[in-house]
Amino acid sequence: MTTFAEFEHPGPSATDGEIAAINLESARRGAWARFAQDPRLPGVAEAIVDNERLASQFFGDLEALDRLNALALQFARADGSSRSLLVQAEVTSTAHRFDDARGYLARAAQMGAPGEAIERQALAIDQACGAELDAVFAARHRFAMASGRLEDLVPLGALLADLERFSEADAVYRQALFSYDDVSPFPLAWVCFQLGMLWGELVPVPDPNLAALWYRRAIAYLPSYVKARVHLAEIYASQGGTGEAEALLLPALSSGDPEVNWRLADVLIAQGRLEEAERQLNAARFGFDQLLERHLLAFADHAAEFYAGSGNDCRRALELARTNVANRPTRRAVKQAQAIALITDDAATTSDLHQA
Amino acid sequence: MSDHVDGPRQIGDAAADLSDLFAFTSPENPAHTVLAACVFPSAGEDAIFSNIIDYSIAVRRVTVASVGNSAKFQPADDESRFSFRFETLKRDAAGNAIQHGVCKLPDGRELSLTVNDEKGSWTPEGDVRVFAGLRSDPFYLAWDAAELKRLPNLLQHTNVLCMVVEFDTRRVLDPTKGSLFGAAAETVPPQQRSLIAPAVPRIDWIGRPEQTNIRLYNPALVGIDDLRDLWNQQTPFAISKELQPLFLQRLKESLADWDMRDGKADWTPEALAASANVFLDDFLLFDVAKPINDDSHLEIEKSTINGLPYQTGGGRTVDANSIDILLTWLVNRDREFLQGGATGATKPGMKVFPYFATPNTELQTVADSVELAASPEEVWTLIGQFGGAWHPLTARVNLTGAGIGQLRTIQTLDGQQIVERLEAMDDAKRFLRYTNIAGLAVSHYTGTLEVKPKGSGCVVDWRAQFLATDKTDRAVKVRVSTLFKTGLESLKSRFGVTK
Repeated sequence: MTTFAEFEHPGPSATDGEIAAINLESARRGAWARFAQDPRLPGVAEAIVDNERLASQFFGDLEALDRLNALALQFARADGSSRSLLVQAEVTSTAHRFDDARGYLARAAQMGAPGEAIERQALAIDQACGAELDAVFAARHRFAMASGRLEDLVPLGALLADLERFSEADAVYRQALFSYDDVSPFPLAWVCFQLGMLWGELVPVPDPNLAALWYRRAIAYLPSYVKARVHLAEIYASQGGTGEAEALLLPALSSGDPEVNWRLADVLIAQGRLEEAERQLNAARFGFDQLLERHLLAFADHAAEFYAGSGNDCRRALELARTNVANRPTRRAVKQAQAIALITDDAATTSDLHQA
Repeated sequence: MSDHVDGPRQIGDAAADLSDLFAFTSPENPAHTVLAACVFPSAGEDAIFSNIIDYSIAVRRVTVASVGNSAKFQPADDESRFSFRFETLKRDAAGNAIQHGVCKLPDGRELSLTVNDEKGSWTPEGDVRVFAGLRSDPFYLAWDAAELKRLPNLLQHTNVLCMVVEFDTRRVLDPTKGSLFGAAAETVPPQQRSLIAPAVPRIDWIGRPEQTNIRLYNPALVGIDDLRDLWNQQTPFAISKELQPLFLQRLKESLADWDMRDGKADWTPEALAASANVFLDDFLLFDVAKPINDDSHLEIEKSTINGLPYQTGGGRTVDANSIDILLTWLVNRDREFLQGGATGATKPGMKVFPYFATPNTELQTVADSVELAASPEEVWTLIGQFGGAWHPLTARVNLTGAGIGQLRTIQTLDGQQIVERLEAMDDAKRFLRYTNIAGLAVSHYTGTLEVKPKGSGCVVDWRAQFLATDKTDRAVKVRVSTLFKTGLESLKSRFGVTK
């Protein structure tokens, strides 16, 4: 594997992750308080969307989606302008309800919402659904070249990874990382996590050590980064480091993310602590069921992976994977469904998915 | 927020986002000057400073280079700089997070401080005192600037992180060499940063309030490039010579637009160009030999452009109505004072150190709604009567007075009394607002009840905000929530719910 000079470099400095987490929560609650005073206050609903997304993305705060739904509902009642439609599009897109999101965007466009805001959201939806990828690539490339900013470079990197142009994706992510000119640890942790995913899961021959390095960096920026802890714990566990994996997962349990319970159960099973593992598995199953009941499309892929593995319910996994493919037929989604179909011996589905 | 989110470039860390800068004579000691900068607009109760940003306020001596339509202020090269740095969090015995910091003074001394310690820290010599921590945001914006329409304070109950430095004016600034100064604040990231891009010299800076969001950026000027990011990268006191014509042109266009917002041209082209030329150098002017009061903000600039000697110390106090002062100057050149929809911030400043009011406690919010299968008018006829006794938990209601300001005394079924005052009523919009006078263990209680059409029926929104008198006591929130829920549920059985 390539050795990058950047590994010797500590990476851009950022505000301490604990301080940033406290300030995010502070800003999030402050924005909600202002929204309650008057939902139409300029920029407040949009700020809540940003804050709740960060809470969900980094801290595994699964109630963020419920709060976002409430926000969209209340804002739509209070504000009849295209602003509320753009917020509803953001919220439904976050919950992977892409058809709804497209509908809101279309209505926002009719009401004269700014074209750039609509284009950026539509782009994100197309990318998440694996649709019109040539056009998405052209637009992503244009945005990234024009701004050179991390928030434009990372989606371009993710798209390159989706297109299996892994070396280019790596280069773009690293460009994003080392050109960041602010001090928030969230974007930096995000890029490191993406690089971890790239080298740990997406490339044809994963490099777990390289992936672990990036996940560790993500956690160094943001110690409460739940998903980074989960992925790093998986690598440690696969290399026999179950103690290290457990130490990573235990602090993340309080997030309520069932994926933490699931991975911890796997670690406990590897350690022969079967009763404890069973408790964690039950918690994971309960957690996924709750999430699927409220936000099926948002969690279908993760839940499918769980039920295909330790969740031990291949039929349910296949059903969820199909739901996910129907909602967003990306290469990854199709591959996941094919893999699950193979282990459930569902020849018809495998064949259908091959043709998809 | 006078300088809040002042550019399209996303400010990733709100603790780097400078919102305001102040310079005034110490209310406690006229021989002392106070400089203060604020960051983190709309900070919640727990907000803290970044541990890697250098927060600083720089002061330079300034001279009046010329007056009238050639007005210009010339800053000296030397500067006095107060720089704050903060540490990562530490925990006390009870597990509470504590942040320490240090303020580096212009003469190189360092003064340690603890964030949110109201007493602040003194130097051993007693000539400098500093504070850093959460305070009520003294800035208020009560305009829809696009239409010059008055609004309530859009920043009601918000907080900011403040850094305050008070010093012996004579020892630190030596006014015998000249008493006029300019101040600017900046947030500076670590300088070792990028491997593949040029180092970023600063994240944000501020001189006078609203340089970026009102003067440089003017949404009314359609189809123009947004120069705010470019401006924020400029060095305070030393705007790039190459870019000066660009910024100057933008300022002229923007000021011309502001002049015509009331439909009247109050500025001659020459005077307007002079004003743009003065604002091109962005620092907060203050004269330590003259009185700085709540009305003196911008007086130095205004008098100089008018060809007159200035009379006050300019500067900016905590209670200065900076937006109305600025808009009045821009729109009608002080012909008629433009008073926005608020006459002060949520809390006025204090006369004692650290001069910025204590933080606003987080408002508790209770909100509930119900969708009904009845017309809005039908529902409003029932619940839009301020003295109505439609609520199932109400035994009776007595009204005192009439119209806005009337009181209702509600006797609840369990024998308790709640007294509320009508603050606003709009039958056309089916909306009423009231405050609680007695009967609930809260302060600053405001309730709103609103009925809006939805589909073939309507939706009833009922919400309240209040400060719990005891932060740990959520019982009052449960009580209000129960009142709302019970009331709205009763409407369902009366009017039916939307299918």
